[in-house]
Amino acid sequence: MSQVAEAIASGALPGRLWMYSNYHCNLACSYCLIESAPQAAKRELPAELMFSLARDARELGFTSLGITGGEPFLLPHLPDTIERLAEILPVIVLTNGTLFTKERLRRVQRFAGKPVALQISLDSPDAIVNDTMRGPHNFRKVIEAIPALVEGGVQVRIASTVEEMDDADMVRLCALHRELGVPDEDHVVRPIVRRGRAVDSAMGVEAQVADLPPELTVSADGAFWSPFGPTVHSGALDTDLLVSRTTSPLQKPAGILLGLVQGRPAGEDSKLGIK
Amino acid sequence: MSITATQPEAVVDLIDSSQAPLLARPYYQDSDPGPIVAALAHVPEILDSAMPFLAAMYGPSALPKRLKEIVIVRTSAHLECRYCIESHSVAALDAGLTRSEIMLLRNLCNPAQGLPGGDETAEPMLMAWIDAVAGATGSVPKDIASGLRECFSPAEIVELTLLIGVTMMLNRFCTALGLASSNETLERLRAEDLL
Repeated sequence: MSQVAEAIASGALPGRLWMYSNYHCNLACSYCLIESAPQAAKRELPAELMFSLARDARELGFTSLGITGGEPFLLPHLPDTIERLAEILPVIVLTNGTLFTKERLRRVQRFAGKPVALQISLDSPDAIVNDTMRGPHNFRKVIEAIPALVEGGVQVRIASTVEEMDDADMVRLCALHRELGVPDEDHVVRPIVRRGRAVDSAMGVEAQVADLPPELTVSADGAFWSPFGPTVHSGALDTDLLVSRTTSPLQKPAGILLGLVQGRPAGEDSKLGIK
Repeated sequence: MSITATQPEAVVDLIDSSQAPLLARPYYQDSDPGPIVAALAHVPEILDSAMPFLAAMYGPSALPKRLKEIVIVRTSAHLECRYCIESHSVAALDAGLTRSEIMLLRNLCNPAQGLPGGDETAEPMLMAWIDAVAGATGSVPKDIASGLRECFSPAEIVELTLLIGVTMMLNRFCTALGLASSNETLERLRAEDLL
């Protein structure tokens, strides 16, 4: 068993490998970590590289894959790519949920019964509040897409990224996700992290490296400490959470990440709840 | 080599402490790590491998500091690396070389003349060796190699020659990327009339 595999097995390293499939998005959310937008540079991770990284990840002892962006479903090949990735390791895909036209819904039905989950962003039970942060018509598209996916047998999780939310709104949000067919265990609530576009609006929590689980993350720019690593501010990539520029073979950045984790001083775990 | 007043323009942004990648952070802990580290930090795994090697080459070793600075300043003069000449003119002063010795090295003086404060046999041989390695291409003349062997042990020859090679590599790296000396270095050079 490799040292990385031992670290994953012992819980010292999280078992999920994240991949930024692309950086562009059809939305331009107010707190976006990577300043994504329709006109943002795509900076795609080639599908063949994702397959290669996934195979390396399985060999190293990783237990699952995460695909994020950008909006991954802007890539026409993504449903096919996810299907192939899921043959290697279970996959979770983070999506804004606004691109599920009838044709795309048909293409993702194949995920039913497979180790694939779609994590869709929904930040408020109120359309106006949600759409203020995420863009016009976002709320309507999401609450239409989720039941259609669930009814088709696709596993759906909901992620709510919140600046602040009182108890009453949280109760309403939870009632909404249950109504949409998503159980409590598939609802994630997390704070906005003050990186990327959130810096300019002074939103969210300041996160240091100790606040972020060391989830190896690969983007077109390199390997990072966490999916909160390859952020972009004022058009420039943040490098403070860069692990290495080398991404393949995955053994290289995984080994460096493990060395960094093992060299980290002991201390209290962060309580920011970033996930 | 004479130094002009205008500092070069960096080809890449130099990474500051707020953006220092995880592997690079130790180099930023105490002070400004300098432009070589700040450039290499773009590729942290290379930085992480390169710095121990460069520290072994440029830090304390079996060779006297004076000899190492003779190698670095003269090699840098051959390759006309402004950054290395400036920074190692200061290091040479700290190693005990005088201003006139440094200027002789920077001006690629005739090796046979040696340096005023130095060994009359070994240093001229070393300077001839530097000129043959850094100032020329192709094989090194046999008489220069045999002269060097009379003055230095095999271990010293290997280390001195590697130091020339590593300096040539850094000379081109620093020159190509337009790395500039710190204000502190420039002030010291000005005070010593070495600008």
